[in-house]
Amino acid sequence: MTSGTKAIANAAIALCAAIVLSAAASPAAIDAQGLMKMLASVESATASYVETRYSPLLKSPLVSRGTLSYRRPNWLEEHVQSPRDERFVLQGERLTIENASRSVTVNAGSAGGIAALIEGVRATRAGDLAALERDFQVTASGTRERWQLRLQPRTPALTQYVRDITISGSRARIQTIEVLEASGDRTVMEVQESLP
Amino acid sequence: MTRGARSVVALWLAVLAACGTWLARDLAVTTDLSAFLPPSATPTQRILLGQLRDGATARLVLIGLQGDSSAALAQTSMALARRLKASGLFAYVANGDSGTLRQEQAFLFEHRYVLSPAVRPERFSIEGLKAALAETYGLLGSPAGVLVRPTLSSDPTGEMRQILARLTPTEGPDSRDGVWFSHDGRRALLVAQTRAPAFDALAQGRAVRAIQAAYAATRAGAGSLLLSGPGVFAARIHDTVESEIWRLSALGAVLVLGILYAVYRSAAMLAASFLPVVSGIVVGVTTVALGFGKVHGITLGFGVTLIGEAIDYPTYLFMQARAGEPLADALARIRPTLNLAVLTTVFGALAMVFSSFAGLAQLGVLTVAGVATAGLTTRWVLPALVPVRLGSSVPGTPFSVLSRAVNFAPRLRWVAALLVIAAFGLLAWKHDRLWNDDISSLTPVPESAKQLDQSLRHELGAPSLRYLVLARGQSRQQVLQASETAAGWLRDAVRKGWLAGFDVPSTYLPSRVTQERRQVALPPREVLAGRLDAALADSPFRSGGFAPFLDAVARARSAPPLELRSFAGTALAVKIDAQLFRNEDGWNALATLRGVEAPAELAREASRHGQEFIDLKTESNRLVSTYRDRALWCVALGLLGIFVLLCLTIRNVRRAARVIAPILAAVVLDVALLLLLGQRLSLFNLVALLLVVGVGLNYALFFDRCHADEDERARTQRSLLVCAATTLSAFGCLAVSRIPVLHAIGLTVTLGAAWSLFLAAVFAHRPEAGGSPV
Repeated sequence: MTSGTKAIANAAIALCAAIVLSAAASPAAIDAQGLMKMLASVESATASYVETRYSPLLKSPLVSRGTLSYRRPNWLEEHVQSPRDERFVLQGERLTIENASRSVTVNAGSAGGIAALIEGVRATRAGDLAALERDFQVTASGTRERWQLRLQPRTPALTQYVRDITISGSRARIQTIEVLEASGDRTVMEVQESLP
Repeated sequence: MTRGARSVVALWLAVLAACGTWLARDLAVTTDLSAFLPPSATPTQRILLGQLRDGATARLVLIGLQGDSSAALAQTSMALARRLKASGLFAYVANGDSGTLRQEQAFLFEHRYVLSPAVRPERFSIEGLKAALAETYGLLGSPAGVLVRPTLSSDPTGEMRQILARLTPTEGPDSRDGVWFSHDGRRALLVAQTRAPAFDALAQGRAVRAIQAAYAATRAGAGSLLLSGPGVFAARIHDTVESEIWRLSALGAVLVLGILYAVYRSAAMLAASFLPVVSGIVVGVTTVALGFGKVHGITLGFGVTLIGEAIDYPTYLFMQARAGEPLADALARIRPTLNLAVLTTVFGALAMVFSSFAGLAQLGVLTVAGVATAGLTTRWVLPALVPVRLGSSVPGTPFSVLSRAVNFAPRLRWVAALLVIAAFGLLAWKHDRLWNDDISSLTPVPESAKQLDQSLRHELGAPSLRYLVLARGQSRQQVLQASETAAGWLRDAVRKGWLAGFDVPSTYLPSRVTQERRQVALPPREVLAGRLDAALADSPFRSGGFAPFLDAVARARSAPPLELRSFAGTALAVKIDAQLFRNEDGWNALATLRGVEAPAELAREASRHGQEFIDLKTESNRLVSTYRDRALWCVALGLLGIFVLLCLTIRNVRRAARVIAPILAAVVLDVALLLLLGQRLSLFNLVALLLVVGVGLNYALFFDRCHADEDERARTQRSLLVCAATTLSAFGCLAVSRIPVLHAIGLTVTLGAAWSLFLAAVFAHRPEAGGSPV
């Protein structure tokens, strides 16, 4: 056996070992329960967001900005700052919509699609799988570092508005929320979350 | 039995058989309150009755399901709604399921340009379109964008939002798992509107049982069913009152039978003593049914009470006969008095017969025919059926004590006179607090049931039972315009906190004028297309995407106006029908109100706008008071008739006065004592007092008659004591009832009969033996 052959063999072993080791070190695929557990560890969160709506009816995509705030377990506020100042506060079963001219509080179930969508974000943020599964078929994929949660609406109240929602993030942080609407419009919300 | 007797009995049987057969086949008893409606009724009173009878609110059953998980309750709610819809007993059933809601919303969306209050010419100018588009753009950039987007190209100005903002009550029920729930999420809520009228307690009872059966068949697991609403109350009250009447009547009947058997000692005589009153009821009811078509339930109840006087007729006859004596001989002695006893009651009721109130006229006819028949039966049939007095002699002991008391009575003249004067004084003092004008207090609903009703009504945002705003007019269009005016000031009133919300038919069906005004505000297609392009030019929206909007506006411009029939088959049709209808006074549009806080202010505002604010409770009490006042007149006229009759037959005004005075005094004492016991008088007391007059007159007449000897006088006294004992036992049983209406009737008759007997004894005339035979 030549030293050359030995070197090649060693290299091959090293390579195999590296592959095996790297495989062992690479993060395992994440499932919905694991993801939810990770998300549920967050007590409160605030975020700024930029949402872009892509629609054939618009000359250029509609960009709206605002903030999201969350307090465990069931309080979520979406405060739209532009194009028009408006606040949507979901507290348990009640949704309050407040703008310059009026403030209305309705029961989440009576508010049609809006509440279910906000509730989708709230339940994801809270890691509340049971709540998510009431309205959506839930599929998780990716890794802890880079996960994706796919929500497919199940109730007629939602399917008439929404086809598909994809929420993606890293560890306990939500990064984007993408909604494909029944109308064909698509919205992409980029979230800058700061967790305390 | 002689030939004459045989033919009398045969004729009597034939009449009874004919009446009985006819009644069994054709008797229609109604509980419709319109018999109470005075001929001079105001349009408001007619609306009131219409509402009590057919009003949507009155026919509403509020249903709550609780005690299980919300998913299970929602499932039960859906299954229950399906079953109730299939039962055919309900005009509509709603549980907030989204299917029904979507159907309604599709209809409203289709007609948005005539329904939206925002449709005005300026809204379709370039500036108006720009503003509306900017508003829509703002929404699109919010979480609400997802709702706005599907109709963006067909409704860019957001007219549907304008309509929904008016329709959706914020205080209504929540929606969970696709159905209505209370805010706390513990109770699933449904409403059902019965087809049966609200006053029909039996039909309402059937509806209640149908709901209970459907619930029992559909309930998923644990949990309980809550029901409320006017019909539910009516059915429950009916059941309690009826079972109480049966119980107490049975007790009373046992006592009466016991007393009569104790004095007759003959089953045959006992049976015979019921024949006059039974014949009277059968013939009386038949006469009313033939004359009026239908017999009112209240007439029947009151009438049977009044004919009850006839149970005394055979007592007078039987007690007068010695053991083994032919009844014909005893009859010959008391005939003039018995005739007068019957005739006075007939005369007393005549005023009612000629009353213009259907209810009073029925009562009068029933009394006249019934009492006359009972009199004839006693006079002709009893001596034929029971030729001689059967049974042993009347045991004397209990009577000797009572007889001594009766003989002692005249010495109490001054005491009695003082009592009567004191009673008059009390009546004069309390004359303004004599009547109980709140008829609902007579058949009270338990406090717990009232609270349940309030909580269900609040959770459902169901309209108040008590208040309405009425707009009247000559045409449907006229009242729809008035309804629009009402909506205007009611919206202000809601802002002022006078009420929580309201519902008017013009929200769904605007007047022709309003619809045309909105249609005229819509520009022609080319004009609108031009303006839209101009508005879109410097907007974020691309042009070319709004063809569905242009089409919809063009369609709305030339569409025929929305009519009542356009709503056929939708749940909205039921709603509109209930609030927009025609009666003999013309067209009516009703606004139902929720959470009324300031009725006085609302009434003032309504009259300022030429509309009426109706308080159904006050109106219905007023209606019954009118009826009562009329009945009071009839009683006064009847008493006058009786006095004239007595004067004519006795031919001695002083004696006639002496017969009638104790009765009037007894009535005064009766009423005074009722007041002292904390009672106030109602229609029911009045009818009871009529019976007191009938019974009391008989006492006075028999006390006043001249007797051949002491023995005959003793027999007369005994017959009076037996009559009084049966009356007191039968009505004494009612007097112990806890149900106010039965208690009132029982107490009035018991006290009245007792006073009548006492005063008749006190003021009895004691002519020398062998005097005038009357």
